[in-house]
Amino acid sequence: MTRRPVFTLITAAAVVFLLFPIVVVVGVGLSAGTVLTFPPEGVSLRWFADAVAYEPFRSALWTSVVVAVLATVLALAVGVPATYAIHRRSPRGRHALQLLFVSPLIVPELVLGFALFQLFMVEAGFDARTALVAGHAVLLLPYTVRVTGASLQQADPALEDAAAGLGAGPLTTFFRITVPVIAPGVVAATMLSLLTSFNNVPLSLMLTSRRVETLPVAMLEYVQTSFTPMIAAVSTLLLLLTIGIALLTERLVGFQKVFGRSAS
Amino acid sequence: MRRGLGTSALLLPAAVLVVVGFLYPYVTMLVAPAADPDPDVPGSLAAAVTDPYVVEIVARTARVAGIATLASLLFGFPVAWAISRAAPRWRALLLLAVTFPLLLSTVIRTFAWIVLLGGEGLISQTLQAVGLAAGPVQLLYTETAMVLGLTQLFMPLLVLTAYSSLAAVDPALEDAARGMGARNSAVFARVVFPLALPGTAVGAILVFAGCVTAFTTPSLLGGTRNRTLATLLYQEANTSVDWSGVSAIAIIMTAIVLVVTVVMSRVSAIGSRR
Repeated sequence: MTRRPVFTLITAAAVVFLLFPIVVVVGVGLSAGTVLTFPPEGVSLRWFADAVAYEPFRSALWTSVVVAVLATVLALAVGVPATYAIHRRSPRGRHALQLLFVSPLIVPELVLGFALFQLFMVEAGFDARTALVAGHAVLLLPYTVRVTGASLQQADPALEDAAAGLGAGPLTTFFRITVPVIAPGVVAATMLSLLTSFNNVPLSLMLTSRRVETLPVAMLEYVQTSFTPMIAAVSTLLLLLTIGIALLTERLVGFQKVFGRSAS
Repeated sequence: MRRGLGTSALLLPAAVLVVVGFLYPYVTMLVAPAADPDPDVPGSLAAAVTDPYVVEIVARTARVAGIATLASLLFGFPVAWAISRAAPRWRALLLLAVTFPLLLSTVIRTFAWIVLLGGEGLISQTLQAVGLAAGPVQLLYTETAMVLGLTQLFMPLLVLTAYSSLAAVDPALEDAARGMGARNSAVFARVVFPLALPGTAVGAILVFAGCVTAFTTPSLLGGTRNRTLATLLYQEANTSVDWSGVSAIAIIMTAIVLVVTVVMSRVSAIGSRR
């Protein structure tokens, strides 16, 4: 790196550009003043106290957690068996199936949200929470199929045949071979799904009602109308939570394995 | 036969979820929104593409997304190269620094720019302090603000995709080129860049598509005067009763994303065949 000063400089500038906004958020959250400025006016925890006590954020946080957990469970429940079938049973048209399962990622989320709003809420009369869970499950399925598929692809399918050949029954083979092989992929998919659902804005925006909102949507509405450091305090708390999840993921399966490849 | 039945049972739930939760509602919405008692999407589409207000918004959306994609390429590609050639310890740390922002909500990542870009913000004050501006500079609610916010949001995608193809390039190729007398710039232009092009093109598609469809950033940093297709769609979906009109905007957005994706993946395929 030191041999190419220009690249070192660009890299340093880019890292600052990417991370500086996070520093600003934390700084503003710790502010003692009442206006949004950086550097902050003094240091206090007053906005953290306000944020934790703010009722709309509390109920939105609960909605977000419930939706993230249920949608993740649903996406895994339908996605993992399908991924297993694609990689181990070689069904006819497996490439078409693979494409079908990741297809919700290709289109704009906001447009998907609008389509689901019409079907789920206008036509079928779902309440907001049901619509959110179903919509998020559709969005998470592609991640589940991709991440679980990547870990299945790395494992040798001959392992299962070998177990069967050595006299293991289908159940023994499943629990002793298939489950350990697929487990890291499922853990990775779970982490990625929880975060993706929890952070989602475009889809949630279309599927919320006046009384049922997810946390990012409630935060977005708050930022558009009120200019106080409270939003930065909430963001800082979420930042700490995300760092915790990232550390946990690193411990369980390796950070880059889950999030580094989620982009491609 | 039993094996075949089992496989279908494994695949069916996921297929149902995608058909009921994506294909059916999406296509219905694009062709004839069920909520519209008298749907006329082709008519609305024809009206939209000739409406100067909509045309201006399409142009702005494409312009802002294009500039943000270029900026991501310009800064992201060198970063990816530097990371791929860094010592292992640095590499892990830099990858973490680039990836971590992706785990945070777009609201959090965009919010900081509201603080920095206002007339009293840090950037305006710095510009005045060094004498580059006479009075307060209001950057918030401009296209520049949107470009900054979107570049910050999506550049990590480009860095990561470019990095994974650069990491696959054998450093011995660079050494060979240098050994045969190529200068650093020639090595970069003739060896490194062509080999990393397919992956980088994929990254650029992701960035552009992300920028075209982003909602949070244009809504917070662009304001009401700088609408993009996404904020227009949301406003229309919320306030108008013209479902076919919203579908027309949805068609335009979907078409842009699909066309760019197909064209760029062709470019990337050609690049990888060379």
